[in-house]
Order: sequence, then structure tokens, then C-alpha cells
Amino acid sequence: MEVKEILKNLSNLDGPSGYEFPVIKYIKDVAEKIAPVKTLIDNHGNLIVRKKGDGRKIALFAHTDEIAFVITKKEFGNYFRIHTFGGVDPKVVISQRLRIHTKEGISYGIVGMLEPHLQNEEIRQKNITFDDLFIDVLDKSDSVQIGDLATFDSEAFDLNERYIAGKALDNRASCATLLYTLELLNQFIVNADIYFVFSVREEDGVSGAVNAAYKINPDLAIVLDVTHGDILRPSYPKIETGKGPVLDIGPMVNYEYFDKIKNLAEKLSVNYQIEPNGDHSHTDTDRIQITREGIPTLLISIPLRYMHTPYEVVNIRDMEETARLLSFFLARGGE
Amino acid sequence: MKELIKKLTEIKSPSGREENIRSAILEELKEYIDGYEIDKLGNLIVWKKGKKEGKILLDAHMDEIGVLATHIDEKGFIRIEPIGGVSPYNLLGSSIAFPNIEGFVGVEGETSEELSKNLKNLDFDKIFVDIGAKNKLEAEKLVPPGTFGVYSASFKDLGERIVSKAMDDRIGCAIIIEVFKKSNPYYTLYGTFSIQEEIGLVGASVVAFNIKPDLAIAVDVTAHSDTPKGPKRMSLELGKGPAIKIKDSASISDRRIVEKLKNIAERNNIPYQIEILLRGGTNAAALQRTGEGIPAGTLSIPTRYVHSPHEMVDIKDVENAVKILKLLVESEESLF
Amino acid sequence: MFLKELSDIPGVSGFEGKVREFIKEKIKDKVDYIETDKLGNLIALKKGKVNKKLMITAHMDEVGFIVSNIEEDGKISIIPLGTIDPRVVLGKKVVIGEKQILGVIGSKPVHLMEGYEKVSFENIKVDIGATKKQEAESKVKIGDFVSFAPNAMVHEEWISGKALDDRGGCSILMDLILSGLDLYYDTFFAFVIQEETGLRGSGSCAFKINPDFAIVVETTTSGDNPEFPPDRRSSELGKGPVITPAHRGYVNDERLFNFAVKVAKENNIPYQIKRRTVGGTDAARIAITTGTPSLVISIPSRYIHSPMSVVNISDYQNTLKLLSLILIKEVL
Repeated sequence: MEVKEILKNLSNLDGPSGYEFPVIKYIKDVAEKIAPVKTLIDNHGNLIVRKKGDGRKIALFAHTDEIAFVITKKEFGNYFRIHTFGGVDPKVVISQRLRIHTKEGISYGIVGMLEPHLQNEEIRQKNITFDDLFIDVLDKSDSVQIGDLATFDSEAFDLNERYIAGKALDNRASCATLLYTLELLNQFIVNADIYFVFSVREEDGVSGAVNAAYKINPDLAIVLDVTHGDILRPSYPKIETGKGPVLDIGPMVNYEYFDKIKNLAEKLSVNYQIEPNGDHSHTDTDRIQITREGIPTLLISIPLRYMHTPYEVVNIRDMEETARLLSFFLARGGE
Repeated sequence: MKELIKKLTEIKSPSGREENIRSAILEELKEYIDGYEIDKLGNLIVWKKGKKEGKILLDAHMDEIGVLATHIDEKGFIRIEPIGGVSPYNLLGSSIAFPNIEGFVGVEGETSEELSKNLKNLDFDKIFVDIGAKNKLEAEKLVPPGTFGVYSASFKDLGERIVSKAMDDRIGCAIIIEVFKKSNPYYTLYGTFSIQEEIGLVGASVVAFNIKPDLAIAVDVTAHSDTPKGPKRMSLELGKGPAIKIKDSASISDRRIVEKLKNIAERNNIPYQIEILLRGGTNAAALQRTGEGIPAGTLSIPTRYVHSPHEMVDIKDVENAVKILKLLVESEESLF
Repeated sequence: MFLKELSDIPGVSGFEGKVREFIKEKIKDKVDYIETDKLGNLIALKKGKVNKKLMITAHMDEVGFIVSNIEEDGKISIIPLGTIDPRVVLGKKVVIGEKQILGVIGSKPVHLMEGYEKVSFENIKVDIGATKKQEAESKVKIGDFVSFAPNAMVHEEWISGKALDDRGGCSILMDLILSGLDLYYDTFFAFVIQEETGLRGSGSCAFKINPDFAIVVETTTSGDNPEFPPDRRSSELGKGPVITPAHRGYVNDERLFNFAVKVAKENNIPYQIKRRTVGGTDAARIAITTGTPSLVISIPSRYIHSPMSVVNISDYQNTLKLLSLILIKEVL
């Protein structure tokens, strides 16, 4: 599998929270091609890919949705107002082109900013919020309606040799990693009963992953998400891209499984990093852990730069190493 | 329908004290349902059997926001805490209805400067309730600590617009009652009247657990943008139809439910609006999370002055909501 | 009463093992069934006369910290677990990890301060006596718990120490089990984990047990000190157990609330109605997990979520008395 290509394809698909179907469909097609699996889409839209086994039930989770925008109001001419699905810094939307999905196809719009010549001191100093932004729709503005969704119009590309830049790498990088893990598993005789859950709606807070965890009730749940890479956070270790998967630790993680996967990483010479979490990990891990009678959980993250912006950046090696570690861990039934 | 709305909105049932409204709703529905159940938390669940296998659930919350009397000082003045999203500003100049007596809100201010400061940054620490008692003993007899109160406000009929406290969410309750009265459901229809939504979607977190409907729709109020310098990024106007919610800050509606409701409205020429609510949530968020997950959405009534003693809705929006839901409930279209 | 011993055990949210072991050892021979569930909650059952299920809970965890980074100079960075005012941690002794490494949260000498210096967790470091990162790494690692050091003291009418929230509740549950009450319902005593980090243990217990109703025994806020306006107090020490009408996320069940007040009145037990609705408890989690009606009864306490909290011994006794009477009666 060309992980780079899969990731770029995933990045270019539009799958805002609640509207992930194109991404789900692509992942389903790839999964069915690369491994002997059973696939199912549940009533929330989560894709569950099962590699049947008799042993320990292990479920891996990666959310497929991306942050996006929605048209909330029509102003005069071609202008509309927008809101977000998920958290976005309003400044990063300025001077961006967005792809709006209307019932008659894609329309492009620009989030414009008043030219500097015309700005006064007040406008220059303003702390920009979404109330200050508007979108200027440049084609078929008549077919744009309130409720239409829009995504960044970014096309994924190679950044130097090891990096990919594109939108939605949060969390398509994890999805691609899980697909690669699935492929790598073909080289092993696997006893465990493994579920790959490509879930919906994480960015929105209702989170399809939790419902899937409820249904599957695995012996171990491993959540794959992204974390901030190459940025200094006081009191936190510096997580770097290119230094391997991040093993998260904290009250939402099962310490026994943590030690097992850490020891395995050392045995396999997989470079890894450790990231602490306090009350919340801000991922599906928190709620999956307390589902039903409780589920032992692990959280593994891929370092990512510029989260929730039109060009996020990941290192392909981090993804490959994560997949390598996971495939061995799964082949050993989580030991 | 105005009579029903008046009856329901005037009942005093804040979050955690839903007994009165629950009895009233059950009374209205008695002859139109095949059965009912009151679960451990106090949620009311009613149903009407359909011809085909499948379940549609409509939910409205029974509770309204209010206040809790927590302490009485030596002079007989009562301290309160909010139950749900009551802003202290909404209490100034309005009165609170406790079970046995009405109370009036005052603000602390030892100097005119302090009073001014308090009014600019009002919170529950700076206000108190006066029931006209002369001392602690007298006050405690009428409003012992632990007593709940609600806005004291009556229903007003302005013609097309109606105003009352607790439109949130007695309007939803009224709509669901009308749907039960008027419909001949194709699939089995469940109505859930949930408790303590204003506190944290409490009742709705469990109400659908055993029902496991194929789809669930919360019927609740939403905001508005059609008053002077109203929220500039939303477009919700009274009289332009019930609102089909795309998202709010608690959840995103299942897009298939959005499409279904839209199609029904368009095919039958019923006015509707599309809603994105910037701040606020409904029971749909809790319903979606239940167990293995339930596809859920919200049909909203645009409302002015939500969480104030005088919430205003347009009666046509309410009637059109009933129309849409009746068509949904009687439709023979496959559920999903 | 086991409050002093329980207070001294390190048991930060997510790391409740030692607390659980202590409790289990003391109660295991006095119950009909005992188990530790998948998340680490300790559940014990004592059968009653009637087939309905009552779940009574207290949480084992205390607020504390987790090692978040080991700095180049050998100092340890920490992030809080639970809600902690950073100002209460200056100049305190702490204990880190299974190896029980001692440390000090140092504080800048006043001589060297320029004006008022604000405190935040970003500039709080634990000194374990290491001068280089490598040296520190041989003793502690990222992910180790950091607990306030044990410091409990029994005074004539009071107990002071860390973690009275909610070792107070745990001690009450233990006393209830060991006192051989004639329980009315099948009573599940659940000592739960991770309450402070978001009410994370009680839901799983409720899901497993599916109780008919629940009582949460907490150690709660007061505010009865000279710096806080008397009308804003949550409760007062010396005035008896605190019965909560409503708090964040849940309005307690009216019938349970009225019943508790009735039992207190009829038996001349001093009690108070909680005056503030701030803060949440496991009652909210239990209600939204299994739809179980719940009530919160608490021991009033001063300075919770700090290394030095205070409880009045007679309030403890009265809380125990009230609960002992409730558990032998038909409630619902």
C-alpha cells in the first residue's frame, strides 16, 4: 500500500462531521480490497471492519470526520455568513477559498478581508471572530442555501520527502494508519478478534465511536488520533514529528496495556514518545473508557503540525511506524 | 391549540419537580394512547401502535427553568440559586412563583456606586427574594430552604403571536400531544416527555434506552434573529415556519432526518426554515448517545426571549410543526 | 472511623489501588460478595430483607497531579487531576509514584519577589533533589502520580488532613458495613474511582448493578470562614450532615430528599440543606447512566481540594447516624 497516496486521497475527500459518507465509502472499498474482512455500516454511519478471530476482542478507533463550515445566513448579493463544525481559529479562514456542497454540486466561495488601504485603526486592531467574517460565493450563488456545508479547498501534496500537507489530516492520518495496519496484519497468523472502527462525528461531541464501543464491548479499545507536534507547550514534553508514535498516558488509559505496548515498541526498535494527559484527553478515549461496565483503553497519537487549519502536516514515517507497532501488538493479541 | 398551550405553560414544574406537568400531559393524552409508563427518573413515555414494524420517537422536555430557595436570613429575605439557565437579569422587576406565595427580587447595594456596579455585573450572589415576611420564622413557614420556584407570568394571546413563560418546552409537549391526537401512525409512535433537560439533558439520556427507536426527533424551541440588531449570523424568523435543525452546539442532526423533514415540508407546501443554532442544545444530543446509538434530529419552534418570563412564538409555526410531524408519523415511506 | 488512615493513603484519580486494598482488607469478611470491576471500582454487597437494590457510593480518589514532563534541570512539571487552585500547592510536600519518591513544591522566597507574582501550573515545579534530567528520570517518569504527602491529624473535635473529600465518605461506608445493620434493601456499597476527573467510575458500577435508587456519600464544601460572605455559604461545620436538593447536572430525587429530611427530624439528628448548587457528584452520572433516582448526603468540610482540609467529628458521627437509620428503612 502506498500510504502517501491513500492519505492524499483521504485528505482530498470532503467528510464534515455528520456527512462523512464519501470518506467511509472510500475506506470500505480499500479495506475490502486489502484484507479478508467483513464490513458493516451501523445506524450512525460508523464503518466497522472486522477481521474475525477467536481470541481477545480488540477494537481500534479512528474518527473520519473533519472540521468544516456551514452557511447560516444570506446577506445581499453573493454574500453569506458562516459557522463551524468543530473548533477553528477564525483567523486561519481569512483569504481562503472554501468548497461549498450545494444540491447542484460544488460552488466556490472566498472568505474575504478588506484591503489594508481602506482599513482604519479599529479594523486593524480587531480580534477577529466568526461574526466578522463573510463568504463571497463566486459561482452559482443562487444554488447556495442555508445549511449547505463547506470545507477548505486544499489539495494535499508532498512536502519534502517525508511529509504530507493537506486538510483533514486530523484524523485521516489515523484512518490511513489503520488501513496500513490492516494490510500489515496479513503477514501474521492472528488469533484476536479485531474490529477497525472508522467512526463519525468526533469533532461535534456526540461521537459515533462511543456507540460502536457500546455495541462491540471489546476487551481492549485502542483509539488513534492526532496530537500537536513540534510546538512548545509549557509543562509538557516536546512531541516531535519524525520521532514515532505517541503513547498517551493518564487516568483515561489502562496502565497495564500501556506498559505492554511500550515494551513491545522497545523490542521492535520503534521510536516512540510519551504524552501525559490530565482530566481529559479530548479524544474519544475518555468516553469509551467509561462505557458499559468500563473498557480498558489505550490512546495512540500521531504528531501533527497546524491542527485544524487548511494545511496540516504529518510525517509519513510516524504513520508507518505506528502501523508497524500496532500490527505486531494485535498479532500478539494485545500482549 | 392555544387553550392547550395556555394550560401547559401555566403549570409550575421546574427541573426536578415535574409531577404537575406530567399529570397534566397524561390527562390530555389518556384517550389517544395504547399505553404509558413512568420510568424510575420520572420520564413519561407513551405510545400508540402502528401497522408496520418500526418505531418513531418524538421527545419534548417537561421541565422549565426556575430557582431554588437555599437560605433565609434573619430578616426573612430569601437567597436563591438558579435551576437551569435563569439569568439574574431576567429576575429584576419580575416575580417568582413559589408553591405558596409570590416573591419579588431585590438587588444589594450599600452605596449608589455599589448598586451600579452590581447591576452591571449581576449574579445570584447580589440578589435576594422578598416575600413580605418580617422575619426568618415567618419566611421559613412559607418558603423553607429546598423550595423550588418558577417565573410568575401568565399566558398572553396577541393573535398570531402568543407569549408565556415555559414555551421552552411546553410548546414541544403541546405539539407532540396534538400529533398523538390527530395521527393514525404507520409505525409505532412513541412520545417521551423527559425530565431535567435544562439541568443537563438528564431524562433524555436514559428515556429511549429500552425503546430503541429507529429514529428520534426532539421538539424544542430555538432562538430567533428577527429583532432589532438580532444575532447577525443566524436566520430564524417567527412566522416563517418551524425550523429543521442542522446543528447546534450540542449535536449535529442526522442528515437523513433533516432530508426527511425537508421533503415532507416541500412536498406539502408547508413553510419551514433551516436552522443552525450558535449556542444551545436539545435532548437530541442525549438521544443520539443512547446505547448503540439512535439517529436523532430536532424540529424547532423559533422563539423570542428564550429563558425569560415572556417567550414568544408564532402560532402558525406551531401548527405547521404539527402538520409536518403528523405527515411524518403517517408516512408509509421506509424509515431508513 | 477510618478517616485518619484513609486520609494518609495516596490515591490520586486513576491511581486508587492502595486505597482500594485498605478498604477491601477491612470489609471483605463482613460482606456477602465483593469484587473489583474492570475499571478498579470496589463493589461489595450486603443482602437485605427485600429484593430491591440500593447502591450507596463514595469515591476513593483525591485530587492530585500527574508528572507531565521532566525538565532539563531535573525539576518535575505537573498537571492537575481534578480541580485544584494552584495557589494551595506552594510550599507543599508531595509523594511521587509507586516508588514513593519525596518532593517539594518549592516556592520563591519573598525577598526575591517583585510585587505580586501570579501562580499557574505552568510555573510550578516539583523538586526531588535531582540536578539533571537524567538523574530525575532514574527516579520518576511521565505518567507517575503526584499526591500531597500524608499529613492527617486527629484533634479533639476535628480532623485535619488531605483527601477528606471523599475518604470521609469511604470511611462512612466502611462503618456502615462493619456495624452489622439490619439492612432493608440489598445494599451495594460502591467505592468508586475517578470522581474528581469527571465522575468517571460510578456510571460503570450503576450499569453493572442497575440499582433501584442510589445514595452518594460525599464530603462537601462549606465556606464558613471570615473571608466569605455568610449568605453565600454552602454549609456550616457543626450543623450536621448536608442534604443536597440540587447540584450541577442533577436535581436530586424529591422523594429521597424528603425522606432523608424526615428521618433526620424524627430522630433529632441535626442536618442542613445544602445552600449552593455549585459542583457536581456521582448522582448526576448515575442518573444519566441507568436512570436511577439518587440523593446526595455529605459531611460538611472546609478547604476541600487542598492539602489541608477539615472535618468536624460530630458532623461525621451524625452523618453516619442518619445513614444508618436510612439504610434500615423502606424508602421507596
